[in-house]
Amino acid sequence: MPIASAILSAESNAQTPEPSAPRRIDFKSNLPAPGSFPDRWICGSPSCMDNQDPPIQVHWYNDHTVFLRQNKAYSYEAPFMHLYFGNERILMLDQGFTQLSSDWPLRETIDDCISKWCARNGRKPEALELLLAFSHLHSDHYAAHNQFVDRPNTRYMGLTHEEMLGFWGMTNYPEERVTLDLGGRDIWIWGSPGHVISEFAYYDTYTQILYTGDMFYRGRCYISFWDKWFDSMKRLIAFVDSHPVTHIVGCHVEISQTGEDYPYGVTYQPDEAPLQLTVAELRKAFEVAKTITKPGIYFTGSVFLCNQTRATTTLDKNPYTYS
Amino acid sequence: MPQNKYNSTLSGNPQSATSQQYPNGNPDAQYNTPGVKNTDSCVPLHPAGEVLHNYACDGPTAGNIAFKWIYGSNIAARNRDPRIQAVQYNEDTYILRQNVCVHWEAPFTYLLFGNRAALLIDSGATAEAAYYPLRAMVDAITTRWTQLRRKKSIPLTVMLTSGEDIAQNQGLKQFAGRPETVLAPTPLAEMKRFYRLSDSWPNGAARIDLGGRVIEAIPTPGAHKDGLSFYDPYTRFLFTGDLIFPGKINIGNDKDYLASLIRLKRYMQAHPVKWLMGGHVEMQFVPGKAYPRFATYKPYERLLQMEPELLDDAIASARQVVGKELALVRPDFILLNRVSPDQRTSVFPDGVPNITAPRPF
Repeated sequence: MPIASAILSAESNAQTPEPSAPRRIDFKSNLPAPGSFPDRWICGSPSCMDNQDPPIQVHWYNDHTVFLRQNKAYSYEAPFMHLYFGNERILMLDQGFTQLSSDWPLRETIDDCISKWCARNGRKPEALELLLAFSHLHSDHYAAHNQFVDRPNTRYMGLTHEEMLGFWGMTNYPEERVTLDLGGRDIWIWGSPGHVISEFAYYDTYTQILYTGDMFYRGRCYISFWDKWFDSMKRLIAFVDSHPVTHIVGCHVEISQTGEDYPYGVTYQPDEAPLQLTVAELRKAFEVAKTITKPGIYFTGSVFLCNQTRATTTLDKNPYTYS
Repeated sequence: MPQNKYNSTLSGNPQSATSQQYPNGNPDAQYNTPGVKNTDSCVPLHPAGEVLHNYACDGPTAGNIAFKWIYGSNIAARNRDPRIQAVQYNEDTYILRQNVCVHWEAPFTYLLFGNRAALLIDSGATAEAAYYPLRAMVDAITTRWTQLRRKKSIPLTVMLTSGEDIAQNQGLKQFAGRPETVLAPTPLAEMKRFYRLSDSWPNGAARIDLGGRVIEAIPTPGAHKDGLSFYDPYTRFLFTGDLIFPGKINIGNDKDYLASLIRLKRYMQAHPVKWLMGGHVEMQFVPGKAYPRFATYKPYERLLQMEPELLDDAIASARQVVGKELALVRPDFILLNRVSPDQRTSVFPDGVPNITAPRPF
C-alpha cells in the first residue's frame, strides 16, 4: 500500500509541470495593495449544534493576504486570524481558541491556504518558512499553536513575554519598532501593552493594514493597565499621523451594526458590525480616552473602552428587574 | 461465623446510584415498603380496564435520577447529544433537559401525570421545534403513558414558573392548537386570574388536581415578577424555576425575593420537601463556582436537585443582599442583586474550599 501510493504520487507529480524559477512578487510598488473584506463574516447561529458554517471562514483579502475567522459555534470568542505571504516567509498572526486538530482543523486550513498560494505563485510550500506569532498572550489567540508542532520549516513565537520579545529581537519594548522582512514584504512591529503587558501592534507595509489585537478592536477593549494603554494609544496616533493606514483591524467583533453590545460569551451575533475600523474611529477613541479619569465603561461610538472593569462587570442588565 | 453486620466498604458497588450510604440497598430496611403500591404490576397478561394509581402515599414516592445530565461539548457545532434528554424519575414523573448546545440556558422541564390529567411545568428556551422538539417528546411520552394506563388520552396543562422568562416560555408556542391542552396565560394579570390568585397574590396557593395527585402553585415573585413555584406532594418535589436553583440567581426585586423565600419556608413546614428542583444548573461541582453565561460546555456541573435545607442558606443570603448592589457567592448558588448578570466578585465565602476546576479543554 505505501509503495502503490508512492508510485501514484510520483505519477501525479510528473503530470504537473516543474515550476520555472518563481516570479518574485513585488510588494513595494503601487501601494497600498487593494483588497476587500467580506460583506458578512460567519457569526454563529441560534442553535449551536445546528450550525452548518465551516469551522473556519477563509477570506482572501487579496492574492497575498488572508483573514480567517473561527466559527462562533466552535468558540464563542470567534477570533480573527491573519496570514501574510512574502516571497520567502509567511507570517501567521493568532491561532484561535481551540486546541486540538480533531476538534478544529486550523493546521489543515492553513496548509491548504499555503498550498493554494504556492500553486498560484509557482512555489513549494516546504520552501517557505512559516512564522507563528500572535497579538498577545491570551489563550483565545494561540490555542491551536501546537497543531503545528510537527510541521517542518515552522517557527513559534513562544508563550512567555521573554520569548515573544526574543522572537522579534526587541531590546527596548514597547517603543522599539522592528521590521520583519517576509521576502520583499515588510511588517513593522512594536509594543502595544495595556490590555495585557505582552501585546504587539503589526503594520503590513503592503496592504497598509494596522493590526491592533485586543488592545483596540470593535468590541469591549478590556483595559487592564490604563497608563500603559494610553501610552500605546499615543504611539498609534503618532503612527497614523505619519504613515498611511487603510484599515485598523482587531481580533474580535462584539458590537452590532447599531452599536449594541453583544454580551460576553454569546454564540450568535446576527447583525454584526464590520471587523475593520477607520483611522478616524481610532482618533475619536483617543479623544474620548483623554477625558477618562476613572474606571468604568465608555462608548466611543465604535468601541467600548472598559477601563479596569474586566474582573468586575460588563454592560448588560438583568432584563427582569422590577420595582 | 455469622456475618450479620453489613459493611459497605466491603460490599458497596460504585455502579449503584440508589443511595450513597447503602449502595446496594439498606439491609435493615423492610422488603415490602409502602412505596411498592405506587407501581402497578405488569404481571397480568390481559389486564382489565384502566389502571389508576393511588397517589396518597406515606413519604415521598419511590423514584430515582440515576443518570448524568447532558452537558454540552467543547465544540458546540459538533454536539450530537439528544436535543432533549428525557429521564423517567418514576412512571408518573419525567424530567426533560434541553441540550446545552441548542441553548446555553439548558433548562429543565418537568412532566407529571395523575389519574385524570398531565402537567408540564415550563417549556424550554427555544421555540423552533426543529432545534428543540419539546412537543414531540411530550407527545411521545404521553402516548406511551396512556398505553401503560390503558387510557385513550389524557388532557395536558402547560404551566410556567415564570411567563416572562424567555429561558422557559419559548416552547409554549409548540403546544398551540394541541388537542385537550390548556396553556396557562403569560400576561401577569391574566395569569393571576387563571390561577384564581388575583385577590390573594402573592399569598395563597392554587390547587391543580391531576386526579389523585394535587399540585399546588405558590406565588414566588422575586426573580421574576410573575414567579410561581409548584409543589408535588407525591414526589415531594418543590419546583422553583429561577427562584432558587444551583446557579447564578438574578434577583428582579430583592424585597419580593426574600418574602417569597420566607413564604416557601413557611409552606415547607406543612408540606415536606424531598428536593428543591430548579430550572437550570449553572454551578460546578466545586463549591461557589459557576459556569459563565452562554457556556456550551459544562462537564463539571453540580447536581440538579437541592436539599430542602438549602432554603435556609438562601434566606440568610437574601437578607444580606437586600438593598445592596451585590454578587454574593454561596457554595450552591450565587445571588446577583441590582448588578449585571455578568457581575463578578473576588469575595469567596469563609471556610469554603476555594477550588479551581481544570479548564475543560
